[in-house]
Amino acid sequence: MKKSLLLITIFLTLGLILHALPSVGQDGEEEAEYPTYPIIFTKPLKAVLFDHKIHVEEAGLSCEDCHEEVFPMEAGATQENEDFNMESLYNGNYCGTCHDGETAFASNTRCATCHIGVMGWKRLTQKTEEAEEKGEH
Amino acid sequence: MFKGFAEWLKNLKNEGVEHISVEERRAFLKLGLVITGVYAGGTLLSVVSRVREVYADIPEYVGHYPYKPHYSMVLRTDRCIDCERCMEACRKTNHVPPYGWRTRILEQHFPKGPGEWERRFMPILCNHCNEPPCVRACPTKATFKDPKTGIVRMNIKKCIGCKTCMAACPYDMRYFNEEKRAIDKCDFCWESRLSEGEFPTACAKACPAGVRIFGDLSDPESQVYQLVHDPQRAIWVLRPSMGARPNVFYTIN
Ligand code: SF4
Ligand code: SF4
Repeated sequence: MKKSLLLITIFLTLGLILHALPSVGQDGEEEAEYPTYPIIFTKPLKAVLFDHKIHVEEAGLSCEDCHEEVFPMEAGATQENEDFNMESLYNGNYCGTCHDGETAFASNTRCATCHIGVMGWKRLTQKTEEAEEKGEH
Repeated sequence: MFKGFAEWLKNLKNEGVEHISVEERRAFLKLGLVITGVYAGGTLLSVVSRVREVYADIPEYVGHYPYKPHYSMVLRTDRCIDCERCMEACRKTNHVPPYGWRTRILEQHFPKGPGEWERRFMPILCNHCNEPPCVRACPTKATFKDPKTGIVRMNIKKCIGCKTCMAACPYDMRYFNEEKRAIDKCDFCWESRLSEGEFPTACAKACPAGVRIFGDLSDPESQVYQLVHDPQRAIWVLRPSMGARPNVFYTIN
């Protein structure tokens, strides 16, 4: 019993190390400072895409600009809030902090820029699953 | 089936809007129905050059409508976010099986610049055509146009499942329901809601984005009337060249 536990621990640790290696980068590049996978909100409705890359690289924001005051770091925490809706955005909360029509396009315009829909959501989750499958086997 | 529809939409030729004269536009204005040209990334025909075939060439449709109420839906398509609440509501309300559909959402990519595009979603449903090819095609009169409301309805007892209407519909808005052994389609929630005095349709009620506006096209107080008759507004229908004269209209904003 104990032996197998030890074995599992060794395997897990090895797995973790191996898994972490490629992200250090082949040419010593550091891992990105922000999540590179898309954040998809599915509440209050499906499905809203948030891409860190665009906001960091193109909009030039730093982590502190949005975290912790506008959004907590914890993934998925915001969408549990009852007031996480368009009304609240229009009042300058959450995404509406910047998406006010001056700093960035207003939250009541270009809906389908962020709302990728159930179709987009299915596409993305499928892709991630496929990638995971490929990466793991 | 639906894939075929999307493919077919994509393969349509865009007519463009450059050939419409001011006189022509004005003539339509006078007729009380303004339909200015809009093309949608090559997937929809422009309605302008065909507007006569949509409505205006039938004298009895000018200024008044054949039914009372004349049920109609306007889709403010750019607001749609493909949340599929309408589809869920429709499935529940009208007992639509997982393999079938009465309304669906298409996805379009509008080219915006080199390598740039904008996403847009487009809800589709039965157009409750004024000249419905499906009614004409049905050999048993199971598909009929309600003489009071203009809603294109099904009498499933008469349906023999020959699927002629399915082939006849230029919009592919019908499917065969295995449980009913009959064709099923959108009836503007007539059976499930309207006939019970409930208003509007389940999809319009469920939409959180105000995409689906349902009402009486013959009533100046109705929002559908006001949208369709607004001279500043671009209004179009799907495949106007078919001459089916839809009662489902599209607009933006
Ligand atoms: S409920 Fe409204 S916004 Fe959502 S998919 Fe349907 S039409 Fe689009
Ligand atoms: S859209 Fe198709 S099913 Fe609906 S009335 Fe027209 S032809 Fe018939």
